[in-house]
Amino acid sequence: MNDDSDTPASGSAPVAIADPSPARRTGHLRVRSTRRDSVPPGARTGSRRFRRHRAAMFGFVVPALVVYLAMVIAPSMQSVQLSLTDWNGVKDTYNYIGLANYQDILSSGRFWNAVRNTLVLGIGSAVIINVISLVVALLLDRLHHWQGFFRTVAYLPALVSGFIAATIWKYILNYNFGAVNSTLRDLGLPSWAQDWLGNSDLVVWVLLFILCFTLGGNTTLIYLANLQSVPQELVEAARIDGASGRKVFRYVTWPMLAGAVTVNLTLAMIAGWTVFDQVMVLTSGGPGFISETMAFFIYKVGFGEYRAGYGSAAAVVLFVVVMLSTVLANRYMRSREIQA
Amino acid sequence: MSITSITRRRSRSNRERKRYSPGEIAAMVVLAVLVLVVSFPVLYAFLNSFRTYSEITTEPMGMPTSFKFDNYVRLFQDTQYGEAVGNTLIITVTTCLLLVAIVPMAAYGIERIGGRASTALYLLFIAGLMIPFQVRMIPLVKAMNEVGLYSTLTSVILVHLGGAASFGILLYCSFIKGVPLEVEEAAHMDGAGRLRTFWSIVFPMLLPVTSAFIIIQALGLWNDFFIPLVFLDSTSAGTINVAINRMVGLLTSQWELIYTGTILALVPSVIIFAAFQRYFVKGMSIGAVKG
Repeated sequence: MNDDSDTPASGSAPVAIADPSPARRTGHLRVRSTRRDSVPPGARTGSRRFRRHRAAMFGFVVPALVVYLAMVIAPSMQSVQLSLTDWNGVKDTYNYIGLANYQDILSSGRFWNAVRNTLVLGIGSAVIINVISLVVALLLDRLHHWQGFFRTVAYLPALVSGFIAATIWKYILNYNFGAVNSTLRDLGLPSWAQDWLGNSDLVVWVLLFILCFTLGGNTTLIYLANLQSVPQELVEAARIDGASGRKVFRYVTWPMLAGAVTVNLTLAMIAGWTVFDQVMVLTSGGPGFISETMAFFIYKVGFGEYRAGYGSAAAVVLFVVVMLSTVLANRYMRSREIQA
Repeated sequence: MSITSITRRRSRSNRERKRYSPGEIAAMVVLAVLVLVVSFPVLYAFLNSFRTYSEITTEPMGMPTSFKFDNYVRLFQDTQYGEAVGNTLIITVTTCLLLVAIVPMAAYGIERIGGRASTALYLLFIAGLMIPFQVRMIPLVKAMNEVGLYSTLTSVILVHLGGAASFGILLYCSFIKGVPLEVEEAAHMDGAGRLRTFWSIVFPMLLPVTSAFIIIQALGLWNDFFIPLVFLDSTSAGTINVAINRMVGLLTSQWELIYTGTILALVPSVIIFAAFQRYFVKGMSIGAVKG
């Protein structure tokens, strides 16, 4: 932010780089002489005006920047600091204990179980939701009548938040009075009735099912918008060359969708790493710690078990995982885009 | 390719093919079935919001015998649901207004500063997309406690503002790149101050992004559960989702009220979506379409 002294905007004249005092003088003259030119302010009109312009523009950024620094950057940094302490979340005092929290976390079976669940739920739901969304978008793209209507209707389920859906499912899956088990019993299959949310072999897969029980909403819209921007000429040319529908998709449509796939998978993965609402509502991490995710683990440890320092360390690990996976996934998928 | 040309191509092909092909009808049927299946939980909750607790538990798959609004009335009389609706409204509206007041301006500033400062600020904001709320949660609770804002709506609003800034900057910056400088220049030459130039010339041109941004944020804020759960304790009625969550007792869940609460929580989302559907779809396409 301090580099606005002598860094020219891209494409600006060398005036701005020149020795400050003459530049300032010529700049002053130039302001007058170039008044009618439609050059951007600061690009060719000399450094004083340029600086004033930049200061004003920076002023525009300040309110958002202050809120952002105070609410996102500063607390994130403080997480790193707290992760090195034994703070319990309530007391005013705490001691620095070095990397002990990290050692505890990385040797804790409970934490690795949460990581495994996060991987299953995060990556699993990201992939499955993207497949569903793409299928729905392809179906919508085939429609020539009522497309707007079906697009709206297909979006409607996305208005139901994860929290609301999970709350309803909690009762549908109830062991004694839930719709699923009572239907199974009515059908004469009482042995199929399960304690869906209490069975430690099943519970993570039930959570995955509920997470994926969607038509994708925004993901579908993004795929649809991209499908509709695929040049029709390409598709027709492939058709004339005798390509089957599947081949047209594989060699024409799919490569054109590469950008959308990157965007959607990245967004879905970021959301997947932080699965919380469904776990909180449906299982509270149970039975035992079986269905905890990383987000839930941090919440539970930090606020429920009064181990805020330990929870902060887990939060830092979560951040590293999210950052690495986002950057790596983006790099991989971008390289795929170029090939396509 | 611009949106208008897409729609033009579409409408041309509409006119060319008036008939319903078998493939198209099949697609419609599949879509209709998918939508019905996915909507099942909501339909189920809707039907059960008209039944009593004993009806729901004795015959889970039964149909309502009458469409009386007893549960809806009780929800407001017996629980803090009404207050929670008010809280959720305050949080959603205030956060949206504040976001529109600061984010477009910031994005404009970032784009127009130019040079390395521009890139640095942009990256600083975008980095926030990779910082999950959980990472900043514990220090934020600590800080809110220290300044006495814990368990106030203000704390929830502030935390939301920070979280939404990154996405907003991403959205607005990609759009502002396409706004021509000449118009601002002209206004500036005519003696309008920078702030006035922005609000009276640039901001109106950003309307498509603004509507998309507001709709996406409003839906997200209305539906959020985690942030109010963390920042509002039992001294507050909480937001709708927090209030519903409190009705979920270990042994004494009031199922009929929970179903009713979930259905009522959906109504504003549906209204927002229905009213702004066109902007919504357009907004999702901005920046999402390559080329």
